[in-house]
Amino acid sequence: MGSRQITEKSLSILRSLPRISVGNIRDNPGSKVTQKRGRGQHGGDKHGAGNKGSGQRQNYMRLGYETGNNPFYLRMPQEPYYRGHHHRREYPPLSLLQLQSLIDTDRIDVSLPVDLASIIKSGLYNFYPEQKQFGINLTDEGADIFAAKINIEVQWASEQVIAAVERNGGVITTAYYDPHSLFLLKNPKHFFKTGAAIPRRMIPPPDVIEYYTSAETRGYLADPEKISQERLKLSQKYGYELPQVENDSFYEMLCERKDPRQIFYGLEPGWVVNLKDKCILKPTDKELLRFYSS
Amino acid sequence: MATVWRSQCAFARLLIGKIAQNPNNSPDLCTKLFQGPISVTSRNYSNYANSPFIERIKEQYEYDIIKNPPEWAYVERLLPFDTIPVVTPKENYPSGWIPPREEAVHLPYFVSRTKNHELPIYLNITYRGMRKITKIKKIEGDIWLLNDTLKAHLKETAGKYVETRVHELGKFIEVKGDYVNVIRNWAHSKGF
Repeated sequence: MGSRQITEKSLSILRSLPRISVGNIRDNPGSKVTQKRGRGQHGGDKHGAGNKGSGQRQNYMRLGYETGNNPFYLRMPQEPYYRGHHHRREYPPLSLLQLQSLIDTDRIDVSLPVDLASIIKSGLYNFYPEQKQFGINLTDEGADIFAAKINIEVQWASEQVIAAVERNGGVITTAYYDPHSLFLLKNPKHFFKTGAAIPRRMIPPPDVIEYYTSAETRGYLADPEKISQERLKLSQKYGYELPQVENDSFYEMLCERKDPRQIFYGLEPGWVVNLKDKCILKPTDKELLRFYSS
Repeated sequence: MATVWRSQCAFARLLIGKIAQNPNNSPDLCTKLFQGPISVTSRNYSNYANSPFIERIKEQYEYDIIKNPPEWAYVERLLPFDTIPVVTPKENYPSGWIPPREEAVHLPYFVSRTKNHELPIYLNITYRGMRKITKIKKIEGDIWLLNDTLKAHLKETAGKYVETRVHELGKFIEVKGDYVNVIRNWAHSKGF
């Protein structure tokens, strides 16, 4: 094969090959030499490990160990209020100011009820159910500037936050989700793709039953009549006129609530959502219906 | 000589590609396991429902399959955004976010917004808080003119000379000191 043929062949190959980019280039062969650890009289020194002790022998001590001293982390008297902190439920904060900026930049649609799924969907709120995070704690930073009329469902809220939402004619509910449902709320598309039936939402654990059944905290298991009384009470306490929800143009949106067993708005437990064929499978079997309604 | 640990069906394991199917890694178990046809499809054990401890129940429940159901709107609102939504103009923005103005396009320099519709002005703190550098990114047009006007503005507001550094190719300017709020206000006044 002559040199001309080689040139033509390589040119034709080049024409069919993709363009050179960072993804398909590499160094010239032999241009990079890996440094090896030297041995013997002239090269075999300390190799960066130093002289004597832990460094040279590379038996690094456990974290906090002070070679026989009473370690710093054990020197103080114990702090019993931290006992079991790694088992406790965690509610990462979201301030009203952050919520307002999400609404202002159209990350959250206020014409629809807002829940954990829509806040995570905004893409600007990190949420990790695997780290024992159980939902949003709506905090009162920016309570004075908050000006949106929303139907919001969070997992924890203080009195000031409830007042700030209700002052603008909005509705707030605190609701509990078990970790399994939180995973579904974090990534609903991923769940629908699995083809599994939407599970039931579990009831709250005993230590928060009181929180989620009381009307003062707008719990989702509370009596609606008591909630409307508490709304009036709170408006008198904070000195604002409570806007009438009944006369509102968004009345239906503001009244939308989830069933205590429901995870997503409008979708009942037991249904299977098929994203590809755009259809929903609803069980008609009596046994299944009884299971999902219990 | 070292003994070679090999079963009669040495290739079966290669085909399956999952040692999990042969938990003890023993040749006898291997031969017993693969009496039937060898499945080449991989199995995902990352979730409990797919694990070998779970058997699929063949029982079929009755389901209604509803095409284009009215509840599909509820599904659609759960699906993630395709792109970051464009901000619709509003009367006021209580959160303090300010939209970019049209007139800024006619200036000889321009600072474009980030993908999240925020100003690309950042504070870099290094050396344990000893060095604070304000960085303005995404500068287009005459970066040197922007540098001059910004320097003059900073001298006026801060009351002292403020050092800057221009990176023309990287399209950014670094200002020595924490001037994030001053520069943000200046950028908003220019309409960026």
